[in-house]
Amino acid sequence: MNVSLIEFEITVVLLGMGVLLLDLWTPAERKPGLGLAAALSLLLVLVATFLVPIPQGAAASGFGGGYLLDGLALFFKRFFLVAAILVLVMQTEFADRIASGISEFYALVLFALAGMMFAASANNFVMLFVAIELITVTFYVLTSFQRGRTASLEAGVKYLILGALSSGFLVFGIALIYGTSGTMSFPEIAAKIKASHDLAHGALFQLGVLLVLVALGFKIAAVPMQIWAPDVYQGAPAPVTAFLAVGSKAAGMVLLLRVLLTAVPDLASHSAKLLMTVAGITILYGSLCAIPQRNLKRLLGYSSIASAGFLLLGISALSLNGISAILYYLGGYLFTVLAAFLVICIVTRNTKDEDISVLAGLHQRSPLLAAGLTLAMVSLAGVPPLAGFFGKFLLLKAAVESASNPEFRSAYYTLVAVGIVGVIISLYYYFGVMKAIFWTKPTGDLSPIPLSLPARLALYVCIAGMLFLGLYPGPLLDFTDGVVKAVFN
Amino acid sequence: MEDALFYIFAALTLLFAFLCVANPFSRNPVTSAMFLVLTMISLAGLFVLLQAFFLAAVQILVYAGAVMVLFLFVIMLLDVKEEERRRFNPFGIAIGGVSVIGLGFILFSTIRESKVGAGLKLTAVKGSDTAALGKALFTEYLLPFEVISVLLLVAMVGVILLSKKDLK
Repeated sequence: MNVSLIEFEITVVLLGMGVLLLDLWTPAERKPGLGLAAALSLLLVLVATFLVPIPQGAAASGFGGGYLLDGLALFFKRFFLVAAILVLVMQTEFADRIASGISEFYALVLFALAGMMFAASANNFVMLFVAIELITVTFYVLTSFQRGRTASLEAGVKYLILGALSSGFLVFGIALIYGTSGTMSFPEIAAKIKASHDLAHGALFQLGVLLVLVALGFKIAAVPMQIWAPDVYQGAPAPVTAFLAVGSKAAGMVLLLRVLLTAVPDLASHSAKLLMTVAGITILYGSLCAIPQRNLKRLLGYSSIASAGFLLLGISALSLNGISAILYYLGGYLFTVLAAFLVICIVTRNTKDEDISVLAGLHQRSPLLAAGLTLAMVSLAGVPPLAGFFGKFLLLKAAVESASNPEFRSAYYTLVAVGIVGVIISLYYYFGVMKAIFWTKPTGDLSPIPLSLPARLALYVCIAGMLFLGLYPGPLLDFTDGVVKAVFN
Repeated sequence: MEDALFYIFAALTLLFAFLCVANPFSRNPVTSAMFLVLTMISLAGLFVLLQAFFLAAVQILVYAGAVMVLFLFVIMLLDVKEEERRRFNPFGIAIGGVSVIGLGFILFSTIRESKVGAGLKLTAVKGSDTAALGKALFTEYLLPFEVISVLLLVAMVGVILLSKKDLK
């Protein structure tokens, strides 16, 4: 056993407890600053992930094989750390809207982050389950954090009930898999499938895998497990929605990759059609349902469903390039979505709702915010030269490459066509947001929006991320290619 | 003998679980909670038949005992009358019925196809032995076990935050 394997997670958990404790001695007016302190500490952890020597080979696995610190895990750990730093900054902007318990607001995000980092390294079903539960239970509390708002409570209850249902599916699936294969560990399951053909084709085992996929599909909000997403996204406080959209979805994604491609690679190639169907429907559902939305957070909720579809498209390509494209897409998605929510969080400070009309005249009130949101929308829509374009391009390219397989040729081409239709539909509603910023006649107040230094910095980071990943895709793409080759080959 | 006991406990579990969620005679949440206790106890019976004695004991001590007492406390603190007046929503019943039938069909056909239990001999699983269970928890599954402590901390913080009248 090698405790140094989990040093980053231990640091994050200790940081969370530290915030809870510091709350006792911090005067009320200085409590919002704790979030910035936590963000700075996470920044140090992020730097440490690049400096500390990472164990290689057999030493990278520990705790009975349940924990794995490979390139994929490290990529996602850094991803979650960046997301959490930006979310913490967003939370300090949000602090004046939280009646009480601001320190707990920060601490819970840190605990959710720890859960996500464990999820990135999960290598057996027990670890997978515990990590998912840690993330989900934390989000139950975070979504209903604004106790005074009915919408927030409603979001919390809906997430709780549907989350519990999906946990039920997950446990049932794990039980069936364990019952038929006799092991919880991903590599051991893969070895047993290789040794005996019957296992992977046994109906019970397949049902178990299917149920696990249902539960993971719930986490990434794929059709038909997407019903919760718009309501929860709309009701939850903006920073929580942002973390839900980026962190929770990416955690679901890394677990999906692990289960499908490490534990049951055989079944994954057999279920290509299923994955393609789900991906196609998810893209269309998210894009079409977003059209009539007037609430910004709800709009982004549907847009996040469409993104889940694109991510699944990458998985259904069943190629290394597909996985690499997923990682790249998530990298761009991180900066794009966080930029959008950061702007929404600041703009809606003094408004009652998050209707699209609050954006009217934003380019006069704060050019930086307008620029940030515009770039985010352009990137989400997939217009060059921003990060979102390159992500979607790589995903579609991976699917086209897989079409060389004659068995699925027409299926892949249909899926690519659906993806392109989805992109075109999404142009309409993303540009609706931009129209509201620049061309809608402002009616309300036109006072400039003050921007604090941390928020300004965070926004600059997001904009830089979007532009850099769009203009110079090389470095990250080389990196993700290397990671994917090392892990899945 | 064991077969007969299995069918009795299985039937009781299903019956009590049904009465817990859709009791035609009483809409009182306390009655539902008591039926949930009975469901837990019948489940414990099934565990005994599987020779998982420790699990059966824990099922009764923790679930039927501790957890259900908390349930009852909460129910009694809530406004029960409101819940009794509420009617079933026909749309909800339809959707719920369809999902139950669909899921049941999948499960049933899977189990039939895979011929579970054919030629199966029951031997005491090592994991049901408390010593083996403890060993597994503190060696192979030590990390998840410790992560659960963070989960419990989160749950505690969350409950206090969401239920306390006025936080400073």
